[in-house]
Amino acid sequence: MTIAAVAWLAVIAALIPRAAAAPSDHDHAVPQALAPGYSALEFDPPAPGGYALPPLGKAADGPVLDSSGKARRLHDYLGDKLVVLSFIYTRCSDVNGCPLATFVLKGVQDRILATPKLEGAVRLVSFSFDPWYDTPAVLNRYASHFRKPEFDWRFLTTHSEAEMRPILDAYGQWIVRDYDDAGNYLGTVSHLLRVYLIDRQLRVRNIYSTSFLHADTVVNDLRTVLAQTRRDSNLE
Amino acid sequence: MIRTLQAAVAILSVLLATASPADETCMSPYMAKIVGQEDFVYIWTLGIDGVGDGQDKLVTVDVNPASVSYGQVVSFTSVGGRHEAHHSGLTDDRRYLWASGLDTSKIFIFDIHTNPAEPRLHRTLDDFVARSGGVVGPHTNYALPGRMLLTGLSNNRDHGGRTGMVEYTNGGDYITTHWMPTDDKLQGAVKSGNFADGYGYDARALPRRNVLVTSSFTGWNNYMMDLGTMMADEEAMKRFGNTMVVWDLHARQPKKVLDVPGAPLEIRCAWGARRNYCFTSTALTSKLWLIYEDEAGEWQAKDVADVGDASKVPLPVDISIAADDSLLWVNTWNDGKTRLFDISDPHAPRQVMEKQIGEQVNMVSQSWDGKRVYYTSSLLSNWDKTESTGGDLQYFKLYEWDGETLTPKFHIDFLAEGLGGPHQMRFGSYALYGKSRPQQTVAAGTAQ
Repeated sequence: MTIAAVAWLAVIAALIPRAAAAPSDHDHAVPQALAPGYSALEFDPPAPGGYALPPLGKAADGPVLDSSGKARRLHDYLGDKLVVLSFIYTRCSDVNGCPLATFVLKGVQDRILATPKLEGAVRLVSFSFDPWYDTPAVLNRYASHFRKPEFDWRFLTTHSEAEMRPILDAYGQWIVRDYDDAGNYLGTVSHLLRVYLIDRQLRVRNIYSTSFLHADTVVNDLRTVLAQTRRDSNLE
Repeated sequence: MIRTLQAAVAILSVLLATASPADETCMSPYMAKIVGQEDFVYIWTLGIDGVGDGQDKLVTVDVNPASVSYGQVVSFTSVGGRHEAHHSGLTDDRRYLWASGLDTSKIFIFDIHTNPAEPRLHRTLDDFVARSGGVVGPHTNYALPGRMLLTGLSNNRDHGGRTGMVEYTNGGDYITTHWMPTDDKLQGAVKSGNFADGYGYDARALPRRNVLVTSSFTGWNNYMMDLGTMMADEEAMKRFGNTMVVWDLHARQPKKVLDVPGAPLEIRCAWGARRNYCFTSTALTSKLWLIYEDEAGEWQAKDVADVGDASKVPLPVDISIAADDSLLWVNTWNDGKTRLFDISDPHAPRQVMEKQIGEQVNMVSQSWDGKRVYYTSSLLSNWDKTESTGGDLQYFKLYEWDGETLTPKFHIDFLAEGLGGPHQMRFGSYALYGKSRPQQTVAAGTAQ
């Protein structure tokens, strides 16, 4: 490694999450600023129902494995409820990546459980893009840290990379696996965090990334879509 | 060096609002950033009749000193005809570059991830006006999560300055249109001064404050007119934007219309976690303006510095903010100069240096660390100078900045190379996509 590269790494470590930064000797290093989703919102969000969330296209389908290892389709989990879909992998150690997504989804779960009108209307889905490691058993263990028994939060994986890739491509969730020069997989995946809100018509209604993801705004968006759905129902 | 280290030198990362990226300083906070040495600069280039094939084109220049083709054009892709190539932008995952034409309102989406050295035209959107409900002149191509926000400059009813913003998915499917607030349709916004003109130009987001800020230029009738003719036309000169609008970013609803007279153009917001302000420059009045949130949480605008001598019409164009929010590069197109302002106190910017870059200068982009500063020359096809006095009219140039001096590293004459008028620059890198530079392009004795 050149001296210049070392200098760059110092800058990077200070400024950005670890998603694609070097593992090993830099792991211990620098305290990292947390994403807004970990704190109280710094602004008053727009009132639910007072804004539009125009559809962003169709939510894709594909073969998945549920947490018992049974073969299902992703659409088996969409359509009957509003869904917050998060793409993660359990070994992700970037605090502002997958852990943020799961932290925020847990916050959504807690807020919904405290809001009787929303209970039963929303499902959370965490979808792993690391089928090599994230088996149904691994996902069950992971889920046990976050999911309340009474809440509808599914953890899904796939049989293989070949089955997973078309689903990720269809959602625009792009990932890059990290390898060393000898071609050995390092177990980490560089990616841009994405969380999707999907309505009952299987349409994507919002997409969240790190700077944007917060349980309060996600819940407000869910209430906004629900309000519109009810208005539409009343018109029919 | 393991490949993840290369990835770290130019990185695909999840992003923090508190991170401090630099042309990366001009980018959407939602976007992956290149924090090390960029490999390529993609230059959206205006076709000029009689220069090369005369078409608008995306020109790729290798800017990595470790490459055998450092400082050279390595590819270009012409898009067929001239569309008034102007601005471009990258999707949040940085896989696609959107480049728009102000005249024909066509949008060209380039795949830059399959082979970063040779962008490929992936999709052309030729129904922007119809789909948007009449917005004309797509200008800023700005990344939001999973989508692109395109600001307009005009409309198809009178080709004046009233316009809107248009959202597309990253794949290029139309989502919705947001019209700019006007006197007769404020859409709930507060008109804080004398103007609510409904004009548009640039847009920048401050997600931590749920704020989107937009600026205003002029309509198709003016930006497609010969510059001398327009400046002699008293009525035409009245039809420039005098406003900036503060929007609720999440709801996409206008909240406050601010008076910023004289055509406020590029917007650059501070990156510091508690720095709730943005800068713009006004083309006609030659000033720097600060758009800021005051202690009461109200957004305000005030002019904070002069840019050159307004009576000589220097015409401020692009600006670029440093990673630590301490410096702001300000280009003035007419006199071909770049100026550097110390903005440590954003309410009292102070010019600390200026340098002649060319016979005209428009865009400025800097690397993450601020050490590399790139310039291009073209403004608009009917405004650009055509008579060269020094052979320095249409160019792409790289300077190194050491904190005191701009030192030229290389320049490419876009007329001599048969390319056209270079405009917006965007950075590219192999490592963003988990790729390595092809071994045959690595210069001997260098490390990537």
